[in-house]
Amino acid sequence: MSSVGEDCNELKQQYDACFNSWFSERFLKGQTDDSVCAPIFRVYQDCVKRAIREKKIDLREIDPIYDTNSDHEQTNSSTGNQQQKGKS
Amino acid sequence: MKIWTSEHIFNHPWETVTQAAWRKYPNPMTPSIIGTDVVERRVVNGVLHTHRLVQSKWYFPKWTHALIGTAKTCFASERSTVDPERKQMVLKTNNLTFCRNISVDEVLYYEPHPADASKTLLKQEATVTVFGVPLSHYMEDLLTSTISTNAGKGRQGLEWVIGLINTEVKGIARGTDELLHSTRRSIDEVTESARKSMDEISAQAAKAAKAMHIT
Repeated sequence: MSSVGEDCNELKQQYDACFNSWFSERFLKGQTDDSVCAPIFRVYQDCVKRAIREKKIDLREIDPIYDTNSDHEQTNSSTGNQQQKGKS
Repeated sequence: MKIWTSEHIFNHPWETVTQAAWRKYPNPMTPSIIGTDVVERRVVNGVLHTHRLVQSKWYFPKWTHALIGTAKTCFASERSTVDPERKQMVLKTNNLTFCRNISVDEVLYYEPHPADASKTLLKQEATVTVFGVPLSHYMEDLLTSTISTNAGKGRQGLEWVIGLINTEVKGIARGTDELLHSTRRSIDEVTESARKSMDEISAQAAKAAKAMHIT
């Protein structure tokens, strides 16, 4: 499975591997602290965001609703939007 | 607008299915999905929120190309939540760059089967809207049947990944067994050689003692 950015593939694989083990070994067992994959996630994100910019993919084309669960409070989605705006 | 829904039961617990859902691609059944990237992810109140960019290639009959363009790489936006306490995984996909006049929205719900917690129920919904082109309803029918076929493939693909995960788990178990076995064997060997050398030492000592006695 490849990344949008060809040069991000290796980072993506490293991050996915970290996430998959975090998800099954920790998250599903109730440990929600996700700091273990944070460093690799940051590097991978930098790479992906750069590739998205270069390929001119507009993520804001779809509406920026963060929550997929309608019963979640609005505060979550508003912070999500702010973060997105801040990053882009 | 055309709405398509389906339900499917996986004979695997929710935890296995959700793990596999993250690893769903690549699988040989859905070669149309060529890439995924996480663009945002965090845990809010114990719920994992993820925004992924999904790259896919969709092929349509030639006669549609004039209307919606030829197959090319499409980008879809997938937003998901995983709530480990309520045991619910929801994935919503919107197509990003599928041409301006087509919109395909898909929602997947993974929950433990209400009657049997060792199984997982998948509910799937897709909404297809084609606007601003001639033969819109034909296009919607066509897309809906494509989605229906792809959904079947997606489920097979997920089963394939689950199989892979189960083999890995067995592999780890076997690996551990082998490790234990070889550790035990090497301990035995060490003990054996230690015993041997002890024997040798005592033999040497006995010899020496004998020699000492003789002298």
